[in-house]
Amino acid sequence: MLIGNPNTGKSTLFNSLTGLNQKVGNFPGVTVDKKSGNFKFKENHINVVDLPGTYSLNPNSEDERVTKNYLENTSEQELIIVVADATNLKRNLLLFSQIVDLGKPVILVLNMMDLLQKNKHEINIKKLEKLLKCPIVPINAKLNKGIEALKESICNFEYQQSSFITEKSSNPIDETMLRITKIEKLVDAVYVKKGEDKSYLLTKKIDNVITHKVYGYLIFFGLLFFIFQAIFSWASYPMDLIDSGFIFLCDFVSKALPQGVLNDLIVNGILAGLGGIVIFVPQIAILFAFISILEDTGYMSRVSFLMDRILRQFGLNGKSVIPLISSSACAIPAIMGARTIANYKERLITIMVAPLISCSARIPVYTVLIALVVSEEESYGLFNLQGLLVMGLYLLGFISALASAWVMKLIIRSKEKSTFTLEMPIYRAPRWKNVGLEILSKVKIFLFDAGKVIIAISIILWVLSSYAPGKTFEEIESKYSNSIVDNRETKALIASEKLEASYAGIIGKTIEPFIKPLGYDWKIGIALVTSFAAREVFVGTMATLYSVGDPDNTLSLREKMMAAKHHETGEKLYTKATTFSLLIFYVFAMQCMATLAIVYRETNSIKWPIIQVVYMGALAYFSSFLVYSIFS
Amino acid sequence: MTLDQLAENESGIINQINDEGLAIQLLAMGFILGGVLKVERIAPLRDPILITSGTNYICIRKNDAKNIDINPIQ
Repeated sequence: MLIGNPNTGKSTLFNSLTGLNQKVGNFPGVTVDKKSGNFKFKENHINVVDLPGTYSLNPNSEDERVTKNYLENTSEQELIIVVADATNLKRNLLLFSQIVDLGKPVILVLNMMDLLQKNKHEINIKKLEKLLKCPIVPINAKLNKGIEALKESICNFEYQQSSFITEKSSNPIDETMLRITKIEKLVDAVYVKKGEDKSYLLTKKIDNVITHKVYGYLIFFGLLFFIFQAIFSWASYPMDLIDSGFIFLCDFVSKALPQGVLNDLIVNGILAGLGGIVIFVPQIAILFAFISILEDTGYMSRVSFLMDRILRQFGLNGKSVIPLISSSACAIPAIMGARTIANYKERLITIMVAPLISCSARIPVYTVLIALVVSEEESYGLFNLQGLLVMGLYLLGFISALASAWVMKLIIRSKEKSTFTLEMPIYRAPRWKNVGLEILSKVKIFLFDAGKVIIAISIILWVLSSYAPGKTFEEIESKYSNSIVDNRETKALIASEKLEASYAGIIGKTIEPFIKPLGYDWKIGIALVTSFAAREVFVGTMATLYSVGDPDNTLSLREKMMAAKHHETGEKLYTKATTFSLLIFYVFAMQCMATLAIVYRETNSIKWPIIQVVYMGALAYFSSFLVYSIFS
Repeated sequence: MTLDQLAENESGIINQINDEGLAIQLLAMGFILGGVLKVERIAPLRDPILITSGTNYICIRKNDAKNIDINPIQ
């Protein structure tokens, strides 16, 4: 079991020991990552668990509580490996002393020996071993030095009974001071300083700029903008590749399999759904690459410092910034990224409001709808009106996220005192192996957890839109079999009528009375339902409903939609009022089932996803109603 | 005098920490009673504060800083 202060390179050691033989799970009852893995050494098969970093066994956060509980409940044979930063030995030994006094078998690992040498410091390890009465293994996890020696030490371990301090006090502060005093004397006896703490000085120099009142913020926002751009532009090439790949695959499969239900289910249900998820992988990979690098170098702590004061007003944490910005790509990895926020309430609020930020899936919807009311040439002063509207929608999402957070801050009760005492680690180059493993892990979680849900919903929707009660489908087909022309247009007409008659169509017609006050008809109703698989499905559904054969042909879709008339009033359907109302609905509504699935996973309860659907749904309904009333 | 009253680059000796939870946390992070600390940077609106003690370097909120009694040193 690996335990130690945060920032001691514990994860790097864990990765060195287990390589790819690791997996991430959850500690029961809490949403704290439990990393476990194994390695083999000379016929010994060893299991390793990586516990969250903690400074002492007096816990201050959920992470630390988990570590303490796990530790206290281990069996007697379980070996504890305390990973310490050799350059900050005194502080790191506090935890060590507490564990020894619990009677647990311990090996002390001194990491970052290379830094120690760079600073021209030395530790008399043999002497320390005698004083502490336990094996000590110096390592450099980053360069994989000392790992074999550690494995050897683990396999040959012999327990020596010892105690660190003999007088315990009931007052934790006094007891801690007792330990600290003994540690001071001990370390002074073995630690030799022959030079300056170089890495520490360099860190302070860098921080002069990074935390500067003006430059610090400029750098930060510049970086955010860069990440934002990178996610959209760097991902577009691989996304196009994936898109073409899936189109090819669907085409191939539909021609390879015999015509019929199975063919349709696989191509239009499963593969379509799958394509919808896989296409987001490049964005997610790039996003987590950035997050992981920023965390690894130590910059994230400075972000918390810069943003804490402002975000605290809204019940958020300095570390909420990255999830919120990432939501503009996709809320799912953003919500997963909220794990870095230690405080339960702040993390919960971040997760609850992140989907209000307009994600990439909404872009196709915005584009199609805006084109119905504003043409490309219109401008407001210097600015293109279409662009302005899109920006306005994004801004609306952002502001509503902050406002909702503020409301939740007042409503949600939290017993945990908001502790924000955060360590500023020294800056270091990112450890690429860690970054790579992290990206892999997060992409896997996205594909499997979100993926399962999206595919399931896609299949359900496929069933709903491919089947109709009675013989309706056959009647439609026989109606058209008499016509002479069998081209794309006829096929499109057939598809459109089938969709109307299907179960999905029936659902749309059933909800029509509820969405009428918002200016919608049952066709829009169907689209709202299909958007539950993924918001961008709206465009495909619209294309089918208005019998546009090729959904990528947006010009044709636009023409059809502009000409569409309300089936009861006979007047133009997509008026400014209806279109704006629909746009607002998409800004606020919680439609993406996959996001809900991830929220369920991350909050460990069904309560929060339900609350999310309800509050966002209500927000969507009433705002759309308001907008429709104002404009009509 | 309390920590939140120090300016950037000023130092002080930690006399007492008035909140038990905070005290345990700070001790475990290397900010011990009798130790010397220095204010490295204060964020806009004087909150939070970056402080160091030896090679220990942390960020602390103003509300918590108010609970730390210090003796300033020149």
